[in-house]
Amino acid sequence: MPDELLAEVDAEARRSGSTRSAVLREFADAALRRRREGRAEAMRGLLDEAAAEGGHGGDAAEQVKATRPKP
Amino acid sequence: MTTLLLDASVLLAAADPKGNHHGPSRAILEDDKIAVATLDLARYEVVNVAVRGWRAPALAGPLLAVIDRLADDGGVVTSAGSLLSDAAVLAEAHGISVYDAAYAAAAQTAGLELVSCDERDLVSKGLASLPANVG
Repeated sequence: MPDELLAEVDAEARRSGSTRSAVLREFADAALRRRREGRAEAMRGLLDEAAAEGGHGGDAAEQVKATRPKP
Repeated sequence: MTTLLLDASVLLAAADPKGNHHGPSRAILEDDKIAVATLDLARYEVVNVAVRGWRAPALAGPLLAVIDRLADDGGVVTSAGSLLSDAAVLAEAHGISVYDAAYAAAAQTAGLELVSCDERDLVSKGLASLPANVG
């Protein structure tokens, strides 16, 4: 990790009365949470778009097998 | 934090409002408390079903976009040679196709729970959980 970035992390730890590892854990958790939230939000839009095409008869697993190349 | 590996059947069920596993499959993809991954094979399989099975080629774009979003979340596992070697062993042991076994091998290698709508070849053999039974 670059020294400058580490210095910023340490400054944040001092400001919040925390530790370097706690700050890094918090930042990692927040970044991953934002990523999951972004995916979940995008899925709502994409799956609404797909659902607008109507139903397709279900049984997705059998559909996958039926369209695979035959040996 | 839980990370699930979804096979193509779950991605397709989530996009098929009349499907028997639609609700739970969609709920997984829209759950912001878990990370979600899949296998690169899913790209071929969802497009194949959209075009050849559903006769709905317009759905190829949204389905691929769903997988692209997973690439930015739990990830899209690459079907490398080592994974397919593991899949071959699983396929032989369970009497299933290498396609199905590849998902199981990807999940086992990464220590993830595999989720599938395939009761016959994956769920019944203890290799995957149904979308409704996750957690």
